[in-house]
Order: sequence, then structure tokens, then C-alpha cells
Amino acid sequence: MNPVFAAMNFASTRKLFIGGLAASMVIIFAQSCAPRPPYRPPAPPPASALPVTEPPAPVSPPPVQETVRKPLPQEPKIKEQNLKSKPLPPSVALKEVPKEPGLPTEPAPSPLPDDSSLLAKITQGTSPQRAASLRLTEEGRKLLDAGDPAKALTRLEKTIVIDSTNPYGYFYLAKAQYLMGRYKQSLTFLDVAESRLSAEPFWLAEVQALRGENYRALGMAEKAEDSYAQALRLNSGNRTALEALSRLHESQPASR
Amino acid sequence: MNKSKFRIFSISLVALLFVTSSGLVFGSWYLKRLEQTVTNKFEDPKWPLPGKIYSDSYLIYVGINLRIDEFKDKLRRLGYRETQTAPKAQGEYRYRQAPAVLQIYLHDFVYPTEAFKGFPVRIAFEGSAVSRIENGATGEEMFSLELEPELVTGLYDRTWQERRVVKLAEVPPLVVKAILAIEDERFYQHHGIDPVSVLRALWVNIRSGGVVQGGSTLTQQLMKNFFLGDERTLKRKIKEALMALIAERKYTKAEILENYLNEIYLGQRGSQGIYGVWEAAQFYFSKPLNELTVGETALLAGLIRAPNRLSPYRSVDAAVKRRNVVLAKLVEDKIITTRQYEAALREKLLRRELIKVTNDAPFYVDFLRRELSENYSNTVLTAEGLRIFTSLDLQMQRIAERTLSEGLKKLEESYPNLRRKGEDDSLEGAIVVLRPQTGEIKAMVGGRSYQLSQFNRVFQAKRQPGSVFKPFVYLAALMSGAEGGKKFTPVTMLDDSPFVWDYDGQQWQPGNYNDEYFGTVTLRRALEKSLNSATARVARDVGIARVRDIAHRLGIQSSLPAVPSLALGAAEVTPLEVAVAFSTLANNGVRTRPLTVKQVLDANGHMLEKRDIRVEKVISPQMAFIMNNLLKGVLDRGTGEYARRWGFTRPAAGKTGTTNDYKDAWFVGYTPDLLAVVWVGFDNQSKLGLSGAQAALPIWTEFMKRATAGTPVTDFVPPPGIKIVDIDPLSGQLATPNCPTVVHEAFIEGDEPTVTCPLHPVSSLQVSKFE
Repeated sequence: MNPVFAAMNFASTRKLFIGGLAASMVIIFAQSCAPRPPYRPPAPPPASALPVTEPPAPVSPPPVQETVRKPLPQEPKIKEQNLKSKPLPPSVALKEVPKEPGLPTEPAPSPLPDDSSLLAKITQGTSPQRAASLRLTEEGRKLLDAGDPAKALTRLEKTIVIDSTNPYGYFYLAKAQYLMGRYKQSLTFLDVAESRLSAEPFWLAEVQALRGENYRALGMAEKAEDSYAQALRLNSGNRTALEALSRLHESQPASR
Repeated sequence: MNKSKFRIFSISLVALLFVTSSGLVFGSWYLKRLEQTVTNKFEDPKWPLPGKIYSDSYLIYVGINLRIDEFKDKLRRLGYRETQTAPKAQGEYRYRQAPAVLQIYLHDFVYPTEAFKGFPVRIAFEGSAVSRIENGATGEEMFSLELEPELVTGLYDRTWQERRVVKLAEVPPLVVKAILAIEDERFYQHHGIDPVSVLRALWVNIRSGGVVQGGSTLTQQLMKNFFLGDERTLKRKIKEALMALIAERKYTKAEILENYLNEIYLGQRGSQGIYGVWEAAQFYFSKPLNELTVGETALLAGLIRAPNRLSPYRSVDAAVKRRNVVLAKLVEDKIITTRQYEAALREKLLRRELIKVTNDAPFYVDFLRRELSENYSNTVLTAEGLRIFTSLDLQMQRIAERTLSEGLKKLEESYPNLRRKGEDDSLEGAIVVLRPQTGEIKAMVGGRSYQLSQFNRVFQAKRQPGSVFKPFVYLAALMSGAEGGKKFTPVTMLDDSPFVWDYDGQQWQPGNYNDEYFGTVTLRRALEKSLNSATARVARDVGIARVRDIAHRLGIQSSLPAVPSLALGAAEVTPLEVAVAFSTLANNGVRTRPLTVKQVLDANGHMLEKRDIRVEKVISPQMAFIMNNLLKGVLDRGTGEYARRWGFTRPAAGKTGTTNDYKDAWFVGYTPDLLAVVWVGFDNQSKLGLSGAQAALPIWTEFMKRATAGTPVTDFVPPPGIKIVDIDPLSGQLATPNCPTVVHEAFIEGDEPTVTCPLHPVSSLQVSKFE
């Protein structure tokens, strides 16, 4: 391009640009001087409305609220819970418990003493890891009782990080999964809890009863009934199994 | 006027009219465009909020061992500062010896499931163990305490802008007044540009012979930060002024001010830029805005001019000088009283250490991003302010990084032939660390240098595992009896002599290391010494398909060909797969899902995702225990025994791995609570020439020694149904008092031997005593 032309072009463009800007500033300045115008956890599913397949895990956003963290519960404050043996309802008699085929028909043992207190398991000889893990498990259990399985789950996961041999941590993890509707996951945690429990019929009965609850939720009635029966053979006072079997029998009078 | 003059006049007039009208048209169009730009920003003031990755939180409980130096270092990284007096404000701590007591005033922290309000705690020690924890305010005893997670890194696009957006009403009036006083005292009088300030600045600059004072209003500064760069040109200045005028015409002073208070750049912490007054208050004083003192407020306002030069992190003197200038202005303008002024001058500004976020876990973060990308786009990850809570243990990660890098360097020093030319041919390695009971990946180092190569060998490199695969063969054998096959126990005698395996019309002849054969050996000894010939015989007896199934069941996901050489690890797997499979053994037969992401929260604290621990019982705890007991022997007596000589004495199980062609060296080892896999080799598959015990074991040992130091010693607990008896390792029978060495062997109850050792019989005199 001719350099004279180029210079002229440039000069005229610049003139145009500066002219435009000046005009704009005048307009704007004139204008600017003018006057201006709770989380709610899912309830345990009713027996009648249980899904046959495992539903997707409910992820409800828990409310974020400022709370001063409370210290772990003190030992004497053990809350009553559904694990505890209570007097049997008159409608349920042990003789009604179905026997698992192939198992010896022994007379039902008397109800086992309540062994549900985890804090009572902390003695002088308990290792610090187990003690801390048990205390956290107890805290998780209380959150479950309070209807907050999501928060409980986070707490309970720590119990097995501290002490992977703590079977109660696995049991309550299974319970949290059950309460959140994740029945298959709950069953796998129960497998682990069971393998870590030794000679603790009270707790083995709890495992079986919760297993029964999961099977029932999954629509596997026969397996559920077997698990409840196992639970009662281990502890005839297992409340969960007694109530579940009672419900089952009431709903299926003709089939028995 | 003659004709030609009139003609020139007419042309000039037309030209002038043309230029003027063109200018007006162009000017209107240009203004419209600027107005649109300004409006878009103001209507949707979306600052990019980087995603943030946090490590796992740290749980302290009564009885835990804390190494105070390491713990203090952790507190420092979390932004706590040590004081000589009892902590009075969040972020302070004091440690006193004799009796050892640590007092910490905890920070507030929003955890995924709850917001935590910081309070003072008192931790007493007995030796290095925590003996008591109590709430420092109430004296109430606590049994555990969670220390907030560390920020690992941010996920951002181009620049990391750290900012918390606040409403104008949330900013204390003094902060606003101080900023206006020092940056734009005529803010409420001008309309975007301030001719008085411009003239004043011009005068000052002419007198000083350079640019020492700016005449920009706060609105102009905002426009510059929003849309324009730092270039000092007339064009930029005009554009800035135009935009300021537009903004002032369209929006209220309050709206402009609020945007300014959130937009303004106020400092730098490594790669993290500090933006907005809320973030600056946290960065410089670890306080919310409403807790700032007069002196701190003045400094905050004063920092706007040159945040890095005047930063108290850089120079306390410069910061104090600037603060005092602002204080003088505040008292002069009667914003503060003389009394407040004098008190503020006396405020002591402490020198603080700048803790930078350095991303010590780049490979882990890459792995995490890959996992997150399944559910979140890159834009969401880098600009939506997600908070991602992970399983990462930063302390362990640092140890892993260091031990791998030091270990590889030592190997090159000891074996100079490992030093190759060219970047593509350097000695490489990888470490992955898992917590077996939860599947949490606690640390991951995918290579020697992330800067040089981002290839993550932990999950991207498929390599032959060699003898690391053998435990799957032996586990299949131990389980075979119960599944209707040939019965094996830890003392089953195996033939370790050369043999040929005929299959599918082909022949395969496995050879032992150094062609050394041991004749008849127990199953334990064959595993501990990693004998190829004996192992291949076991695989043949059990069936290679069964071996393959066991490997899959434990957690190997790569496809495994059912060929004899599989028994000696001829298939290709990743270190992560190996880690998962062995963690199933460590976790008593329960397989866990590898876990990195634990929770994802959006910018408002709502949980978008929670990944729980997933477990599945895949083998019986009895079988897992027997395998762990056998693999403990590898460290105590077998190919991994050097770990003991190098000082790692905890109960642990493990297995060395070396491929036939010496291209890969492995070691996988674990305590009941921690598992680590180390791989060493070359990316281009060239020959390493070293065994797993020579190349990988030293790195594993060093890592485990450092990572487990101070933690409780735990051993594998036998489940019910296991019987442990003393066995003579040579005969495989019940040990007698005359047996020179004894092994505590685990059996399924009823499978234990009943015959006493024939090699070291008891004499008649000893019989009665022995029985």
C-alpha cells in the first residue's frame, strides 16, 4: 500500500475514533448528571410398601447449621433403645416361631440379658482405639435413634477407621444403610459384623434380626423369616425378630 | 467568494458533517456495546469460585499417640499460630511441657454434615499419648476431637481467585469508610469520574516528575478490574472512564460499592490470589470482618494501593507505616476519634508466616479430577466453588513422595547402570497407600516427578506383577479343600523340583530364581521363599481358572488369561488393583471399594454427593487370617526379611514381586491398618535387573517406618474357628522342645497336624514333661 495513503487512512480513522469518543463522553456526562431513577431422614419403610429392588441411595442435603460440637456422651447416659429386651406382647408366644428346616428343634432359650450398652464394654483393659471406637459408635447410635442416619454414617465410618475389629461399628453402619434404604449394602456390613463377633449371642441375634429386616425390605419373605427365627434361637427376647414375626403371621394367617 | 473557494468550502463542510455524523453513529454504537458489557457484569456478577480439595480430617482421641513436633507442624499448616499465653482467639495455640498440655482455640469449619463453631480445647499428655481432652471453656471432658481438613489445592481456570462474596450490609461501616477515605473520598459526589481528583493527581505528578498518584475513582478502579488490564494507555483510560460513567448512570452507589468490595485484589498466597475484603480479613488477620480492630481495618484499607509491597507478611514496618497513614486520614476526616486513633497506633502488628498452598499431591488430585469428571464438567469444577472432601492424608502423602524420590535416587547411586540418558528413560516408581478397612486411598505418588511426567503409574501403568500374584495361587489352594478339590494347609508338603506343565498341547517349564530348587518344602516355605516350581505345581493341582477367579474376587479387575504362567504373575495389572486385592486380605476377607472422594458440597454448603464406604465379604475371615499369617513369614523369614533388618519391626504381611525378565520390581505389604504397594521399573519396559526385594522393598520399608511411627502397634486377630499351633518349619509337624525353630501356624480348627516332629523327637526323659 502507498505509504501516503496508509498515513491518511490511519489519520482519518484516529480522527473518527477520537471524535466518536468525545461525542460519547459528552452524551454520557450529560446523562449522568440527570436525576436517576432440615434435613428429614427417610422413615423406615412400611412392610406393605417395600420396594423389591434396592432403590438409589437417597442423598438429601442435610441442613448446615452452626452447632457447638458436643462432647461424647458420658457413660451413665445410656439411652433406652429398641435393642433392649422388653416384655413380650401377649400375641407373640415363642412356640409360634417357625423352625428353620434341618435345625434341631431345641426348646427356646430364655431371653438373654441386655448387652446393648457399648459404653459398658469399656473397661480398664480396653485398648484406647477400641474405647474411642466404641464411644463414637455410641454417638452414631444416638444419631440413628434421633433419625439422622446420614450424619450417623459419617460418624460410624470413623469407628472402623480407628478400630477395624469393632463389630458394633459395622453393625450400626449396617443399620444406617438399612435406614437409608440401601438394603444390599446393609447386608454386606452385617456379614462383616457377624464375622467379627465371637460368642456374643445377644449381638449375633441383633445381626440376624437386622438381616431379616433387610430381606423383608427386599421382598425376600422366606429368607427374612429364617433370619428372624435364627435371631430368636440365639436370643428369644430379640424384640425386632419377635415383632417382625408377629407382623408376618398376622398378615399371612392362611399360609401357615 | 469565487466558485472554487465555495466548492472547497462545500466539500469541507460535507466532510465535516460526514466525520461528525460518522463519529456520532460510531460513538453511539460503541457506547451501546460498552453499556451491554457493563450491564451483563452487574446483572450477573459471577466471580469464578475455584473448586477446593480438602484432605481427610484428623481425629484425636484419648489414648492416641501424637508426635508433638509433627502435630505442631500440622497446626501451622492449618494456619494456627503459637502463642506464649493461653489462646484467646480462634487460630491460636500454646504448648507447655511438664506437664505436657496443648491448648488450641479451634477454627470454625463447615464440615459436610455440620457447621462447627470453634472453641478452646485442652489436650493433656502422658508421654506421647493423649490422656485427657476437655473443652477449654466449660471444662467438660471430651473423648475425641476432630481437627479440620487441610486445603490441598484449588481447581481453577488460569488464575486462582480466592474470594468470599459478601453483601454490603455484612461489611462493617468503618471498613467502608476507611476504604472510601483513602481511595475515593468524593465517591458520593462524583458521577464515575472525578475531575477534581484528576487535576489534583496531575498536579502532584507534574511536581514530582512521574506518576505517583492516580486520579481514578473507585468506580473506575472497579471497571478496570472487571474488564480491563493494567496497561497504562490513553485508550484504556478513556474506555475505563466511559464505563465508569455508564455504571454510575445505571447503578446505585451501593451496588457499585458492593461489587468493589468483593472484586478488589488484596494479596497473594502462592498461587492463590486474595480477592475481596472478606477473604483479605481472613488472610491477614484470620478474623471475620466484624471482628477487625480499628488498626486492622486501617491496614486493610491501606493495602489496596499495593497489596504485595505493603503486606505484613512481607514487611511489618511497611505495613505499619501504611496503616498509620490511613489512621491519620481517618482521624482527620473525623471518622474515628483521637482516642481511637491513639489506641490503634499502639496496636501491635505481629509478623506471621505465610503458609502457601503448594499441592503436595498432584497425582492424587489428577486421579480425583478424573473420578469427578464423570459427574461434573470442567467449568463446574473450576468456577462453581465446589468443596471436595477426600480421603487424602497429607502427612502420609508427603512421606510417600519423599521416600519414593529418595529411594529411587539411592538405587541409582547403588546401581549406576540404572542412570539412563534421556527423560523418557529414567528410573520410575509409584506408591499407593490404602486403609484396608475402609478402602480410603490415603496417599498416591504416580511417578518420580510430576513436573516431568504426569503419567500416573498407580492406575495407568499395567505391568506384570510377577511373584506378587503367588498369594492368589496359595489362597486358591487353601480354599480348594472346602470346595471339593485337593486339600492344602500351610504345612502341606510341596515338591520344588524342575517340572514341565503340559497344557493345550504346549509345554511350560517354570524355573526357580537362580535355578535353585529345594526339594520337598512346606506350603509356607514355598510362599515365603517365592519358589516358582512349587507354586506352579500348586496352581496345576488347584486349576488355573480357580486361581484367576480368586484374583478377581479379591479385587483384580484386569482381564487375566487362564494360562499356566498366570500363576507366576504373567498377566498385566496396575499397582492400584494389587493394592485393592491385598487390602481384602488385610481386611479379613472383606473387599472395599477404593475411595478418594468422600463428599462434594456446592458453594452454599449443600451436599451434592457422598461416597460411602462400600464393603463386600468375599472370602472367609479364617482364610484371610491364614493367608496373612503366611505372608507375615515373608517379612519375618522370607524374601522380605530385609525389612526387619532395616528396622521395620511391626507385625506385617507382604510379598515381593519380580518379573522373569527383571523389568518390574514390586513389594506389597501391610499391617492390619495400613497397606502400601511400591512398584519400580522403566516406562519403556527396559530391563531393571533388580528383584522386588532389592528395588521396591527398601522404599516400602522406609515409607512404612515413617508412616506408622507413633501409631499403635496392632496385629492380625485370629477369628473364631482358627487354631494356632507351634510347628516345626522343616517337618511341618507339631514342634517338640527339641525343634530349633518354631513357627506359630494357623489352621482351620481340625486341620492342624496331630503328629509330632519326627526330625527332632523328644527323648524318653522329656516325654512326660512334653505331654
